[in-house]
Amino acid sequence: MKVLGYVFWAAVAATAAVCLGGIAILHGEHINSMWLVLAAACTYAIGYRFYAAFISARVMALNDKRATPAERLRNGHDFEPTNKWIVFGHHFAAIAGPGPLVGPVLAAQFGYLPGTLWIIIGAVLGGAVQDFVVLFASMRRDGKSLGQMAREEIGKVGGFIALVTVLIIMVILLAVVGLVVVNALKGSPWGTFTIAATMPIALFMGLYLRYMRPGKVLECSAIGFVLVIASIFGGRAVGESAAWAPVFTLGAMALAIAVIVYGYLASVLPVWLFLAPRDYLSTFVKLGVVLMLGVGILFARPELQLPAFTRFVDGTGPIFAGKIFPFCFITIACGAISGFHSLISSGTTPKMIAKETHAWPVGYGSMLLESFVAIMAMIAACVLQPGVYFAVNSPAGVVGATPAAAVATISSWGFPVTTADMATLAQNVGEQTLFYRTGGAPSLALGMAHIFAKSGGGAAVIGFWYHFAIMFEALFILTIIAAGTRVGRFMIEDLIGRAAGSEKKSGWTGVLVTSAAIVAAWGYFLIQGVRDPLGGINSLWPLFGIANQLLAGIALCVATTIILKMHGARYMWITCVPLVWLVTVTFTAAWQKIFSPLPSLGFLAQADKLAQGPQTPAVETLIFNARLDAVVCGILMVLVAIVLADSLRVWVGILRGTREAEIREAPFVLSRLQAEEL
Amino acid sequence: MRRLVAIVMGILREIADENAYARHLAAHSRPHSAEEWRRFSEERLRAKFARAKCC
Repeated sequence: MKVLGYVFWAAVAATAAVCLGGIAILHGEHINSMWLVLAAACTYAIGYRFYAAFISARVMALNDKRATPAERLRNGHDFEPTNKWIVFGHHFAAIAGPGPLVGPVLAAQFGYLPGTLWIIIGAVLGGAVQDFVVLFASMRRDGKSLGQMAREEIGKVGGFIALVTVLIIMVILLAVVGLVVVNALKGSPWGTFTIAATMPIALFMGLYLRYMRPGKVLECSAIGFVLVIASIFGGRAVGESAAWAPVFTLGAMALAIAVIVYGYLASVLPVWLFLAPRDYLSTFVKLGVVLMLGVGILFARPELQLPAFTRFVDGTGPIFAGKIFPFCFITIACGAISGFHSLISSGTTPKMIAKETHAWPVGYGSMLLESFVAIMAMIAACVLQPGVYFAVNSPAGVVGATPAAAVATISSWGFPVTTADMATLAQNVGEQTLFYRTGGAPSLALGMAHIFAKSGGGAAVIGFWYHFAIMFEALFILTIIAAGTRVGRFMIEDLIGRAAGSEKKSGWTGVLVTSAAIVAAWGYFLIQGVRDPLGGINSLWPLFGIANQLLAGIALCVATTIILKMHGARYMWITCVPLVWLVTVTFTAAWQKIFSPLPSLGFLAQADKLAQGPQTPAVETLIFNARLDAVVCGILMVLVAIVLADSLRVWVGILRGTREAEIREAPFVLSRLQAEEL
Repeated sequence: MRRLVAIVMGILREIADENAYARHLAAHSRPHSAEEWRRFSEERLRAKFARAKCC
């Protein structure tokens, strides 16, 4: 039996090596997406079975005889021992956001290879390790949050900086995902109607759950899903109606204002009325679509049309400027390593873990699944013809303000495309145009529609699938905007409360004012993105990536400190290697975004170039925005440098023996939980 | 197969907070009612939406 095990894992390792080698070597020809699927699945299996097992046994010494906080502090609310696969599903649903879908689509401008390798290797050696170690640390500390652990393990500064960094990330995140939705819906009456219809549907669901069938969330979500699908068909009728199509054909600025108003209302309305039903519905739709996409790829096994590398590895990409190093690793955050996951791993999840060994599939395994979602998004982007991919994702400021100019520019890059191709494609999916749809969502929707249509229905249903994909992306992005605005409001209240030395809850005026403050903050960046002649994504997505990766840096500092206190320097490399990589990548990217002399890349160079031209109020605003982005980037670098310096001070003290390596774990209590209770 | 369905339903009920509501009723030895659901969901949702959602 043992020999069979060796043979099996040797075969898995060989398959991983062959597939990784295959996608790296087979340049110059179209490869099938199954190479990527197999390379990822086999590498994940090896990482899960051996690397995660090593961390579990040697570093964490997971012990099922030790009672978890879910058992010791069981209260029927947050702390509750739960079946490990249910916690796995719950945790995955919590960590899966738009990041692993949008990031790989944007990074495909380098070709499929760099992003794919980073997604696979980054997740196995970095992202999954971060999530796993933070979950373990929180589980051993009564479910404490990352901020609390940073404060206790490193110092007060670390905890405060974690809070401020999260607030800045929230602002940039909400702006950038808002921009993704705006660019997906501009000039699209079908899409705009479908998304507008989700608002009354959510209100109906809220009232249904509150007064008609209290507690029947699954039933209510099923009704909501049927109504949303009906709204996609309604959207098609609206798009074809001479009377209604103009009403729902909105420009980018009008949509941006609508998103800002939506965010504000969602933040101040009672949570049960609007946000909660949307959240339930979008989570179920998200899980369903991820599953559908996986099945669709396995069924259709599409060929990748984008090459392994494009000419834009030199940093002259139209979607965002910058070379593979460091920008590929910034653009793809959530599919490889995401600081935000550390907040989830130290949030609800550690309070539900019944046995310590369950942290292995939940912490490490969930991240591998998230990484696989990113691989699927990469495949969806790469099944598009390269010319179409660049025509959809490139801003007018780069490729030319008319379709004829855009196709001429893109064809001159070696990616042939014609206006007739684009017009036919737009007509097939029920859109007026697909040019300049920056942000990643429309090209992802096109790729998904292509895969779904190939799996069944063909060209006749591609319009439905395109709008289904747009609905799915916009539905859960708008839910993130609503929830994020609310969380940002609480953070501002918390910071004000700390500054005033008061824990008093805000009244209605406070709610309205703090909601306005957070909406104004992300709304400003959203409007900035809409006005940006380079499309906004060029500046905002790297800022978001840098912020998110810097938060991962803070999480890895906490994780390294805890491992150092447990074992000395012996196993520090497990979290130190990804930490050093992340710090190198993020600081290089941040430095280039601020100080690069290229106006397409550096914020200050961009401001200087604009300052040399004719000055109008619009240009002055662009100059201010570029300098503001540079300042935000600089603040993030300084904040994380402080946490790093603080951590290094603690590590050196422990290694020299001048500082006590106090392990702040909860004391050992023998578990009495029986397996059948789960 | 039955176990797989049970796990999938368990995940869906956990995400939908229906499991949490069942635990709440059991912990407080109370029967289900519209008022009880409203009390539970307000407390639950307040805590749920005070935490950052992932990107």
